[in-house]
Amino acid sequence: MSAQDARKGQEPVTGDTQVVTAEPAQAKPRHRRRLSEGARAERRLGWTLCAPAVLVMMAVAAFPILYAVWLSLQRYDLRFPQQAHFIGLTNYGAVLTSQYWWHALVVTLIITVISVAIEFVLGMLLAILMFRTPFFRGTMRTMILIPYGIVTVAAAYGWQYAWTPSTGYLSALFGNSAPLTKTVAAIAIIILAEVWKTTPFMALLLMAGLSLVPEDLLKAAKMDGASAWQRFVRVTLPLMKPAILVALLFRTLDAFRIFDNIYILTAGGNGTYSVSVLGYDNLFRALNLGIGSAISILIFICVAIIAFIYIKFFGAAAPGAEG
Amino acid sequence: MASIASPRRGRRAKRLTATAAGVTLAASTLAACGTSNAATVATLNFYSFNDPSGAVQTAVTNCSKHSGGKYTISYNKLPAAADDQRLQMARRLAAADPSMDILGLDVTWAPEFAQAGWILPWTGANEQAAKAGTLAVPLQTATWKNQLYAVPYNSNTQLLWYRDDLVKTPPKTWDEMIADAQALAKEGKPHLIEIQGAQYEGVTVWFNTLISSAGGSILTPDGSKASLGAPAVKSLEIMKKLATSGSADPSLPVQMEDQNRLAMEAGTAAFELNYPFVYPSMKADDPALFKHFKWALYPAVNAGQPARVTIGGINLAVSKYSPNPSLAFRAALCLRDRENQLNAAVEGGLPPTLESLYSDPALFTDYPFHAEILAALQAASVRPKTPAYQTVSIVISHHVSPPADIDPVGTEQAMVAEINDALASKGVIP
Amino acid sequence: MATTTRQKSGWITANLVTSLLVLIPVLWIFSLSFKAPSTITDPTFFPKKWTWSNYSGIFNSSEFTRPLLNSIGIGLIATFISVVLASLAAYAVARLNFPGKSALIGLSLLIAMFPLISLATPLFNIERTLGIFNTWIGLIIPYIAFGLPLGIYTLSAFFREIPWELEKAAKMDGATPFQAFVRVIAPLAAPGMVTTAILVFLFCWNEFLLAITLTSTVAARTAPAALAFFTGSSQFAVPTGSISAAAVVITIPIIVFVLLFQRRIVAGLTSGAVKG
Repeated sequence: MSAQDARKGQEPVTGDTQVVTAEPAQAKPRHRRRLSEGARAERRLGWTLCAPAVLVMMAVAAFPILYAVWLSLQRYDLRFPQQAHFIGLTNYGAVLTSQYWWHALVVTLIITVISVAIEFVLGMLLAILMFRTPFFRGTMRTMILIPYGIVTVAAAYGWQYAWTPSTGYLSALFGNSAPLTKTVAAIAIIILAEVWKTTPFMALLLMAGLSLVPEDLLKAAKMDGASAWQRFVRVTLPLMKPAILVALLFRTLDAFRIFDNIYILTAGGNGTYSVSVLGYDNLFRALNLGIGSAISILIFICVAIIAFIYIKFFGAAAPGAEG
Repeated sequence: MASIASPRRGRRAKRLTATAAGVTLAASTLAACGTSNAATVATLNFYSFNDPSGAVQTAVTNCSKHSGGKYTISYNKLPAAADDQRLQMARRLAAADPSMDILGLDVTWAPEFAQAGWILPWTGANEQAAKAGTLAVPLQTATWKNQLYAVPYNSNTQLLWYRDDLVKTPPKTWDEMIADAQALAKEGKPHLIEIQGAQYEGVTVWFNTLISSAGGSILTPDGSKASLGAPAVKSLEIMKKLATSGSADPSLPVQMEDQNRLAMEAGTAAFELNYPFVYPSMKADDPALFKHFKWALYPAVNAGQPARVTIGGINLAVSKYSPNPSLAFRAALCLRDRENQLNAAVEGGLPPTLESLYSDPALFTDYPFHAEILAALQAASVRPKTPAYQTVSIVISHHVSPPADIDPVGTEQAMVAEINDALASKGVIP
Repeated sequence: MATTTRQKSGWITANLVTSLLVLIPVLWIFSLSFKAPSTITDPTFFPKKWTWSNYSGIFNSSEFTRPLLNSIGIGLIATFISVVLASLAAYAVARLNFPGKSALIGLSLLIAMFPLISLATPLFNIERTLGIFNTWIGLIIPYIAFGLPLGIYTLSAFFREIPWELEKAAKMDGATPFQAFVRVIAPLAAPGMVTTAILVFLFCWNEFLLAITLTSTVAARTAPAALAFFTGSSQFAVPTGSISAAAVVITIPIIVFVLLFQRRIVAGLTSGAVKG
């Protein structure tokens, strides 16, 4: 927010209010009518523009989501639909008292926190590189985008083979070891795969933030004798705050739902399963739609809490939040 | 040989079914002669594993050709992973999907699919035809509550593969094998024992083989609760002993069948417990090592008490929602008839379920181990028969893998409790 | 002028290190895809025996070529529709005041955050009932829906950075809000839309779970889902070579895509900033 205020110093009024205040010069009696007419037109336009998107999203997601909520309140086995019956919150009780859920939650949080932290630092370095490098800037930008574009499943296979003894070069490098068999090492490799794949996305969003920093301000700071590090911490970072928060928010929500990488690398074996993998196994291997849906809803609640924390406490911009 | 014999055999099969079907066939033949036969040919959708050898496709083509214009079979391939196969079929059956007729089920799925009412029982002439000449243990896997629900298509079982340049006489028991491996290690020779230790179905197979060989079982005979007990503790001790003996592959806790094969081909291993697919692969990939690549029966748990190896393979079932069940039964029988099974064995390396094929010379060239396979199949053990098999298996695999972490007595107790929970479909699965 | 030799070599080192970190895992998959089956157990980085057989294997059957076509078609159509719809909504979100706006934002956040795994089964049932199971449409519609939250979020961020004084001016000149949008804002927003389109396309290209749930034959199966159908020489053999070759093939369009549009992405991103 501060970045936008600083940048738009000469134009402090943004967003909706601006439209209204754009026409203050009218005579008083007509003022009211014109305003409400304008507001009505604006309201109609708003609805018209949003309608197609809302329709598609409702059609595809609204029913399945409600259905998942309903399933989570049932004893429901895909194999025996006729035995399904309402059991209230029993499934949630079963999940929340299960050691497997808490184990999965801890694993997920560890993966999320560590990978997002590493991605942020690396992503910032990459963003600066993409933005400032005097040599091969285009080539570098192209190259950095490659991991982001690669299909997760394909990249995950690459990592799995690389760490498999007698097939992989990385395993050979570490004395033909089998790190995927050990919980801590396997989680480290999952984080490595996740970081490699998604840091470019972080970097992309951060570079958008970098480009928001006016060169003049940096030049002025340099004139004042600020070192490169001081300029970065005092000028660039504060101005980038909105971009940083958006990038962190996106990546945290994504990392919390990590699935593909774990599924390919360890299939959740040796205690490396995340909450999504746990949900998948209960839904699709045990075919227990009740428990599986309860896990899904709990994942959603966790994700919502994370988003809430970002938006309320750090002030990340939710889409549509007034600039 | 097989390809020449095949059409003749197919025609005879057609003649037989024609006699059995009598009036219906005559009527449809008349219809077929009268007009274009397109209108009367039913399309049967066959959902099965993606067979890389082409043997299944050949069977599908042959059976369609020889159906007398009654049906054509459309072969729909399922994903490579068994879990994905089961999920796709279960999801469609739960939605009463009429576009599936014949289902290729893993040997562990029949109780689940039968209990859910998704597959039709085999009765009367179909049941007799399915049982005639078929090995007993594969038939057990297709039976639920004394009723046949599928016809065994192919079978599978593991042998002990070893290198005769390292080991003169193959070990008879697990203790001997581990001792042999340790001796080889002292001499600085390749010594590893290759087996499936990853947290997945394969490790459950290993445990089931051990506990059956030790004279026990995972579930009580009626499948209502966990049995385990002393044979389970003995099995867990062997798994732990292997994992901590220095003779197991260092990557045991992530190894599946194919990693075992690759390790053996890489020359680091002396022993491998695996399915016969490793044989043609070794022949193609490493002719030098192939000269020393030999096989023997699976090692026993107790000396003098032969191993009872877990059976694998595919059973064919007919969907309850099939619009043409009677044709589907007939087509399923055709797909697994003598010629098609022989072809699957020769082309795809899949052990047949018809006993007489094991004395057919056509099998001998590509199947030098046919006698051992037959012996193993006749003494084979079946994985727990329960509709909750998947959850039971997940519980087992989570407790026995990684094998080095097993605490025989404690693990046995924990498994009993969690298997009983899984049978009651309570709680969260790991 | 101020770029010293030390700075130069610093940047070059940074470039090199980054390139290596990015490229080595990609090269590894390339190299695996050229390894002959008999040398797959050889853990050297580069193949000792090179072979094309993994590629000829996957291109010799429609089991991979058709899914590749499906991926391209489904991805492009879903991306196009998704970006158009998202632009309209994002404009409204960024610029207009109307009741229900927070409900729209709530809905799109809900969809973006809901675990996809729990939506797969209900979607399957719906599509079977509607008869769009295993069709392009059956994948395009969900991809649009799941691309929309991403699109709305990204585009509304872009739209907030556009110099709206121009819109004000257009309105002063008597243009309706809709005319102002089409004539003035849309051209300014185009780079942002391209960027968004790339993000959405990559999502469609990447998506695996729905692709495998909502298809049953190569009529609609996409390339990532096709990987799950590869088989080795037997039931148990892992098709390492084929999977690597297919991974390379589905990576190539991405590289081409990024090469072609890299400038647009960057232009899109930087035009979001109002100078001064």
